[in-house]
Amino acid sequence: MPLTLALAPHLVPVGISTGVATALVGLLMLAHIQFAAFQQGGALVMTLFDFLGMVRKDERQTRFARGMVKTMAVVFSIGAALAIFAMMILFTGLWSHFWVKLLRIMFWPLVIEAGAFALEIMALYTLYVGWDRLGRVRPLRIGLGLVLAVDLFVQMLAINFVASYMLTPRPAFNLPLILLNPTLIPLEVHRLIGNVAFTGALIAIVAGWRVLRARTPQQRSYADWMGAIGAVIAIAFTALQPLVGWEYAKEIQLHAYASWYDMMLGGLSVAFLFQMFLLGLILTAGIFFFWRRVRSSGIRSPTLALCAVLSMGAWLLGATPSSLAWSYEQVFAANANVPIWNGGLLIPFGAMIPWKLTALVAFTFVSITAVTVFLREVSRGHLRWGEARRSQALALITMGVAVSLIMALMGYIREDARGPFLITNHMLINQQQNFVPPATTGPAQGGAATGANLILGGE
Amino acid sequence: MARESTRSKLAGRLTHPISRPLAIAYRWVDERMGITDLAYKGLYEAVPRRGAWAYTLGSATLIIIALQIVTGMFLLWSYVPSTTEAWESLNYLAHHDEFGAIVRGMHLWGAYVLLLVIGLHMVRTFVSGSYKKPRELNWITGVMLFLLVLALGITGAMLPWDQAAYWTTVVTTHVLSYVPGLGHWLQEIWRGGNQVGPVTLTRTFAIHIWLLPALLVPLIVVHLYLLRRHGEHGSWVNYRNDPGESERERAERVLRAEPPYPAVPSDPGYAVPDDLDEFFPSQVGKDAIISFLLVLVIFVMAVVVGSPLEAPANPASLTYVPTPEWFFLPLDQLLVQFPQAWMIPVGVFVIPGLASTLLILVPFLDRSPDREPWKRPQLMVPALFTLLFLIFEALLAVNRLFNL
Amino acid sequence: MGTRISRRRFMVLATNLAGAGITLLIAAPIVGEVLQPIFTRRSHPWVRVGDISQVPVGLPTAYVVQMPTTQAWKVPPVARIVYVVKLNVGNQLQVLSLSNVCTHMQCDVHWDIDLQQFLCPCHGGFYSITGTNVGGPPPKPLFRYQHKLAGETLYVRDRLTEA
Repeated sequence: MPLTLALAPHLVPVGISTGVATALVGLLMLAHIQFAAFQQGGALVMTLFDFLGMVRKDERQTRFARGMVKTMAVVFSIGAALAIFAMMILFTGLWSHFWVKLLRIMFWPLVIEAGAFALEIMALYTLYVGWDRLGRVRPLRIGLGLVLAVDLFVQMLAINFVASYMLTPRPAFNLPLILLNPTLIPLEVHRLIGNVAFTGALIAIVAGWRVLRARTPQQRSYADWMGAIGAVIAIAFTALQPLVGWEYAKEIQLHAYASWYDMMLGGLSVAFLFQMFLLGLILTAGIFFFWRRVRSSGIRSPTLALCAVLSMGAWLLGATPSSLAWSYEQVFAANANVPIWNGGLLIPFGAMIPWKLTALVAFTFVSITAVTVFLREVSRGHLRWGEARRSQALALITMGVAVSLIMALMGYIREDARGPFLITNHMLINQQQNFVPPATTGPAQGGAATGANLILGGE
Repeated sequence: MARESTRSKLAGRLTHPISRPLAIAYRWVDERMGITDLAYKGLYEAVPRRGAWAYTLGSATLIIIALQIVTGMFLLWSYVPSTTEAWESLNYLAHHDEFGAIVRGMHLWGAYVLLLVIGLHMVRTFVSGSYKKPRELNWITGVMLFLLVLALGITGAMLPWDQAAYWTTVVTTHVLSYVPGLGHWLQEIWRGGNQVGPVTLTRTFAIHIWLLPALLVPLIVVHLYLLRRHGEHGSWVNYRNDPGESERERAERVLRAEPPYPAVPSDPGYAVPDDLDEFFPSQVGKDAIISFLLVLVIFVMAVVVGSPLEAPANPASLTYVPTPEWFFLPLDQLLVQFPQAWMIPVGVFVIPGLASTLLILVPFLDRSPDREPWKRPQLMVPALFTLLFLIFEALLAVNRLFNL
Repeated sequence: MGTRISRRRFMVLATNLAGAGITLLIAAPIVGEVLQPIFTRRSHPWVRVGDISQVPVGLPTAYVVQMPTTQAWKVPPVARIVYVVKLNVGNQLQVLSLSNVCTHMQCDVHWDIDLQQFLCPCHGGFYSITGTNVGGPPPKPLFRYQHKLAGETLYVRDRLTEA
């Protein structure tokens, strides 16, 4: 292996080019993340609806929970196969140095991961096979659902230790500090909310499709209800994301400045702008669904109409590029660091502060308002399920597909932002060896501790 | 009538002390002050029977506020509000006055538990829709009390004049300078100058021990008066009114309820709980148990964990990382999330101000007769998200400060 | 007007007026006391920072300066930090005396060697070596003390309020 490395630093150990290997792992992991995200969100939603079905004695909610478990079992089988394939072939084959180092550092989290995986298999298949029999003791079934949800939370926490460590590792080896690294909690919260929103989005896609294909009034009514559930979950949880994501980026700015720069101003800024576009699309499509769905049942809601308009305004503001170049460096290189109306390349209304931030805050408030108004109309009992129209089903599908896309794009940005590193400042992507940083170029007197350059003076 | 017999029984109990001279003395005082009447009014009130454990949080709040006042009084026996001596006096307390240290610990942990209990009390009131007509003012005074307790918490955190207290003072007083127009003056008024110094401490001290309590205590009196005037509302489980109930039965039930529950019996907003119980001893007993447990927690925390005292205030520090008290973490996080220029006042004043205003206006935002939480999504959904948001903000703030 | 007012009406009027008078007499001095800091004049004497010949170019160096405080009664001077920055601008050596008070919430900023920026730990504010804003919430650049050099000895004046 060292020979290969010495001869061709651009090759991963088994001799495939780094680019191909990265693409392979990337595609596989993005697919895997989508499967895993659905598991976690699904477990929470399924348990909630099984519980609601018991409390409100609503057969429809129980049926929905049953459907979720079936889907989860199928999805899990495929996702687990993918995960095992990824681990066996790709990690041990293509990224062996990295994998060995990671196993050394992250031994305990990965043990927990494996344990949680085993428990997930037991809980999920027990629920899948024994759904009806467990139903005789309903609290037991709900309890098992809860066990599954908590188990999946632990599983994601364990893998987030690894993912957040790779982006913002602590300099010294100290396991608690490495585990509780700066981006762990933002990533955990961001992903937890995102996974639930994603599950809502998938429910919405399926429901939208069923509304379009429904033959009987019963089918149409159930699909309509399911679409509303999916949209409410997706929009309500996506609404929380902007501020959590903002905080996540803030931690990256503090602890992995180069990655932050790459995402916000460098080569990835275009991907991030597309991210804003997708966010606007998701929320606008969702709010459009709420507004039109209520209208289909004969209710005029000026608030929802206003929400739709505001959301479109925030969408426009949020997706405005901050310059006419691919990155801020190009603007700088072209010496065009002035607004376009002064002959430069900058578009001031695309600036992050205050305009994109304003758009994000607006998204949050408008979406929660829309969800609230919609649920209020539902609780008044004026909404008759089964009156969803074709345009509303299409809005649901659009929203769901956009959520799925934003998940993939987000994963791509997070992984790619580490730039030349696999583990920031510790391991390069193409060599998978411990990275020795070049001698500090700063002033010779610079001490490592921030207070070291203190000179006591004066009287 | 049942009510009269209870009254005479109470008089008997109170006038039958251990010795004859005491009984004579009691009667003498009772004739002049009407203690028995007072005790009767205080103890024998009809309260909802179901869910009574959930209604113990209000009295727990009252007990802990009393604990705060008493421990605060006796902290003054040692504490000196001066920049040169505040830290010294508390350091002395920590090392040479074991019981004084426990008193300080109880004042600190009392504040923490108080905020939690007030929070739970508010959540309970909110979820059960107890703020509805005619109890709007109960809710409004309650929110004002909550905000006052928060203000007491933050001013109290400034007094030890250790590093944590000093930087809390700097940041909190500087927040005022972002008030459009008047900011600079407001900051100077609180600080007693353009910088944090000895006058800042005396002013904060005066605000903490006199100004805010002087507002707090009358508001508590109003809150309790209103509670007694309208009776405890309870929650939806207390109002499974049988539609077949006859007017006569309803009137009897109304009669059993001492507080004027039903100004207009037909008005659903004025409904009486289905099932009533006597305040004493059923409710008082539960209240006492919960309050005892909470005070026990405070005492144990004061003895085992105690109250921290960091290094003395040092304005020239390059390594100290200021961290706010835990109950201000979400607000601190808003400071990170609303950067630069006009966005700072938005994060500092507009969003918390809007949230406080909406909280005060809750009774007017939801005027439907529905009490079940699932029939009131117009309030439950935004409230749930606000709560989630606060928890996330606090989590993110902890993470940010831990990793600096 | 010769309208007679009844005795009863007079007493009501008297109550209102007397009440207003009592409130006014008590409130006036209190308001004055509370507002007093606004009207206090402060002096800004020169304070010696120290010998800055050892400060390397391009490395902000912190000096602890005992600033006399003029707040109310006499108290010991308060320690403050002045960051002395030497920069080569063209062929000229430029000296800056930066306050280390963050313009966001007035926490202490420090020079971060790795980032080559001033960093405020409170809410993550970044400043360049000359004190201009690079990122984070601070709304203004770091305050520059008014300073004068006598040989290699630096003196500053604390006029923070006029940033």
